Amino acid sequence: MLVLQNLSNALILACTYILMAAGLTMVYGVLKVLHIAHASVYTVGAFIGVLAFSWVGNFWVALTIAMLVSGVFGVLIYRSTYFYLLNSPRTVPLIASVGMFVMFTDLLQKPFLMGAYQRAFPAGGAGLPAIKTALFSFTPKQVLILLVTIILLAIVYLILTRTKLGLSWQAASMDRDMASAVGINLNQSIAANFFLGSALAGAAGVLVGVYNNSVFATMGDLPSYKAFIIIVLGGMGSLPGAILASLILAIVENFLVASIGYVLPRDSIAFLVLILMLMFRPNGLLGRE
Amino acid sequence: MASGYLLTILIFTAMYISLALSLNILVGYAGQVSLGHAAFLGIGAYTSAVLTVRYEAPFWLAFLAAIILTGLIGTFLGLPSLRVRHDFLVLATMGINFVVVSVFKYVDFFGGAMGLVNIPAPTLFGITFRGGIPYLLLTAAYALFTLWICWYISKTWSGLAFQTIRNDEDAAASLGVNPARYKIYAFGISAALAGGVGSLYAHFLGSVFPDNFVFVESIGVLSMIIFGGIGTLRGPIVGAILLRLIPELLRFIQDYRFTFYGALLVLMMLFQPMGLLGNESWLWRQVKRWFQASPQGSKEAMR
Amino acid sequence: MKHKLFFFLIALTMISLIVAGCAPQPTPTPAVEQPAQTEAPPATEAPPMTEAPATEVPQVTETTVAEEPAAPTGEPIKVGFFSPTTGFAAADGTSALQSAQLAVKIVNERGGVLGRPLELVYYDDAAKPDQASAIARKLIEQDKVVAAISGSYSGATRAAAPIFQEAGIPMLAAYAIHPEITKTGDMIYRIGTLATTQGRVGAELIGKVMGLKKVAILTIDNDFGISLTEGFKQHAAEIGLEIVLEEKYPLGETEFRPIIGKIKASGAEVVYATGYYNEAANLVSQARDEGLEIPIIGQEGYDSPKFIELAGEAAEGVIITTDLNRDSERPMTRLFLEQYEATYGEKADMVGASAFDAVMVLAYAINTAGSTDPQAIVKAISELKNFEDVASGPFWYYTPEREVVRPISSQIVRGGAFHLYHEFTDEALVKP
Repeated sequence: MLVLQNLSNALILACTYILMAAGLTMVYGVLKVLHIAHASVYTVGAFIGVLAFSWVGNFWVALTIAMLVSGVFGVLIYRSTYFYLLNSPRTVPLIASVGMFVMFTDLLQKPFLMGAYQRAFPAGGAGLPAIKTALFSFTPKQVLILLVTIILLAIVYLILTRTKLGLSWQAASMDRDMASAVGINLNQSIAANFFLGSALAGAAGVLVGVYNNSVFATMGDLPSYKAFIIIVLGGMGSLPGAILASLILAIVENFLVASIGYVLPRDSIAFLVLILMLMFRPNGLLGRE
Repeated sequence: MASGYLLTILIFTAMYISLALSLNILVGYAGQVSLGHAAFLGIGAYTSAVLTVRYEAPFWLAFLAAIILTGLIGTFLGLPSLRVRHDFLVLATMGINFVVVSVFKYVDFFGGAMGLVNIPAPTLFGITFRGGIPYLLLTAAYALFTLWICWYISKTWSGLAFQTIRNDEDAAASLGVNPARYKIYAFGISAALAGGVGSLYAHFLGSVFPDNFVFVESIGVLSMIIFGGIGTLRGPIVGAILLRLIPELLRFIQDYRFTFYGALLVLMMLFQPMGLLGNESWLWRQVKRWFQASPQGSKEAMR
Repeated sequence: MKHKLFFFLIALTMISLIVAGCAPQPTPTPAVEQPAQTEAPPATEAPPMTEAPATEVPQVTETTVAEEPAAPTGEPIKVGFFSPTTGFAAADGTSALQSAQLAVKIVNERGGVLGRPLELVYYDDAAKPDQASAIARKLIEQDKVVAAISGSYSGATRAAAPIFQEAGIPMLAAYAIHPEITKTGDMIYRIGTLATTQGRVGAELIGKVMGLKKVAILTIDNDFGISLTEGFKQHAAEIGLEIVLEEKYPLGETEFRPIIGKIKASGAEVVYATGYYNEAANLVSQARDEGLEIPIIGQEGYDSPKFIELAGEAAEGVIITTDLNRDSERPMTRLFLEQYEATYGEKADMVGASAFDAVMVLAYAINTAGSTDPQAIVKAISELKNFEDVASGPFWYYTPEREVVRPISSQIVRGGAFHLYHEFTDEALVKP
């Protein structure tokens, strides 16, 4: 059934958006800055993932390594830049973020890093089976993405709601100064937040790298723009909102393309949706600010 | 009429000075951060190109049309700024950039991906000038015009209203300044001026393609203002000049151009967020001190 | 501490500007028309003009070096080159540059041009027209090149062409396909096959060689894709193909599943999909995943080892039209492929082959002309016949519109590599 197949493909597409958006919304929640350099973290994650995979041969190990490295990279970004700009006017860290994005993208393209070309990430479905039913089917790769996304989201949810760390983030996102006043170590909290958010981005990069069997220096650009759109749609700082918005966006994109084709490229459609949302419902679907 | 290498650099620099100044009205005076200014450059360029290529309009008409039409569209596209601020606005302007470029690419009227080529050179009193000194005079004149508009804005009531909006929108509202009106003005004027540059750009290069106006270009223009100093007259000028010239002069930078730009932005934000020659910057204070010491006094009192 | 660092940076910038501004421009001594006061002309530069066109058998009249040619000496002859080595197009720009540099090396090993070394002066244009515009002028005025090659995309090439035309300096467009480029003037020639021509060949391939009728067309949304499809549809109408579906898609798209669903529903027997190797790799693997088994036909945009690497097994059976026949026994093709891989550790692609060929054509033209006079160079190019010293050749001749006419190959992926499928040598078909 074509519709159901489109729907199931959209689900997988949404998974690739979700992890990126989840990481971004977490960071935004606490930092209140549009972390545009998130795109670079995603790309670095994919790069480390493919390298690790070529050394180790095991997808799960490669994924873990990639997530760790991405997390550390994210913390470094925070510590070297945003840390000093926490109390500056909002445009300042935003511009700094753009600057980092531009810088990293250029550096990543250099031959001593990723080079200008694409490389394959032949992890396949990591040995998982395909799922075939009468109505729709998932290839092994798609099953893999679904599985990893669910696992990671579950972990994040637990951290957010059940740990002290997670609660500190919720507090900090509501009022940073108050949170600090009641004894939360802001610096550590934000660093940990960055670590997790960036690790999620790295995981997203790995998954997309495997899904499309290609890893390249500019692969983070479009996903990060989409991620912004998603967190606005879903409400800045809301994880359930990001999940919901990812699903909606993926479904809308796929169905538009399947029915009327590319009137405009996918990302422009997404941006149009964004602009309309900003005009009529700036707080997003489930936002609270 | 060919342009020498130096002349070409100067012509482009003049264009980018105008562009930076125009963006400064929006970002520096009105405090509306826009990451989509290249869209206005593109709208102006395409307007002028379409009118002269498809409808054989004379250059000057197309040039004026580019300014006016881009200004109108800019005013309209500024509407999101009424509902949203800061980060949301940045995203919205980014979105506008993407959507505008896609429209140029997907709508055949604009030539689509094949772009518009054979854009005629401007003629005046029977002289056609594709480049050379005449074109430099044209772009320089436009830069001066833009500068004058910025100066005027910064001096008049509109300018003061802009400054208060930038500092605090709610306070501005309480003073009877209607932020909405001035934000729209800012978008309109800023876009109109950029549209004029677009026309000059299109007629100089002789062809336009959608990818000339992508998001990365917007980042470039914003960088010039940030680097030079937001909200001043001298800032965008200096920023445009330096960011256009430095890659030309330092060859080893060429291969790492974007790394350089990016690092520059970050460093500026960390150390001198007001820009190299912004009002509070270290360098500007030195310059002022130097001038106050000399009997010439305030030759550089452009504010 | 913060201020000290900043002061240092500003001082550095200022000093660099002053130094660079005051220092003499990095222009080498103007040496365009200097007589070659060296020794006898190199041994093996006679242009190979052999048999009539339209023979399938690869020629074997290569100027392969049996004896050591005299090493070129004297003032280098400079040829300008620009390509995007940074920015979004860095992959193609780098491939073009590396191939061009390889060609220069080979030319110099065979004795250079007019006994003098050939030198490539290159700048990165990041595929931006305003950069290309400035670079063109720089090459003409400061570097004083005798000719130039564009290794960049259509927008940048289109901006640079009028400048070279006006200055009377020949310019070869390696792979930019916008038709307007060669219309700029009589100094502008193109190496790559005009996309509309390649599109026509695609239709011929599907209709006459493969005997299929119902086609689904996927067009990538840039000038390359649009031109290809235009040519395809033109010839498809002539030979009675039925176009059951036509879709445009954005450059960089990675998710083709919805479109694949549409193709399946359309009853198409074959897909003609324009694009580059990254889109193509995603398209074919997703198509096979989704159970779409019909043949997929591509063009030279797929012509890169990366396509096979990224698409894996899904690449098997894909057929492309291209100018680079990897199975060719032609010495220059083999030379290019082998030396590129040996020098750079990667397999070559079509973009590289075009840039390589541009250098070879230019070197030939200068040698044939016997001087660096632009008119003579351009005349030599226009009179070129059955030129073999190119990787994607042979070049039969140039039309008056300065487009090259040559056989167009089609290659099929078998066993993880491109192999010859069919060669199109009908002059009427392949003439732009």
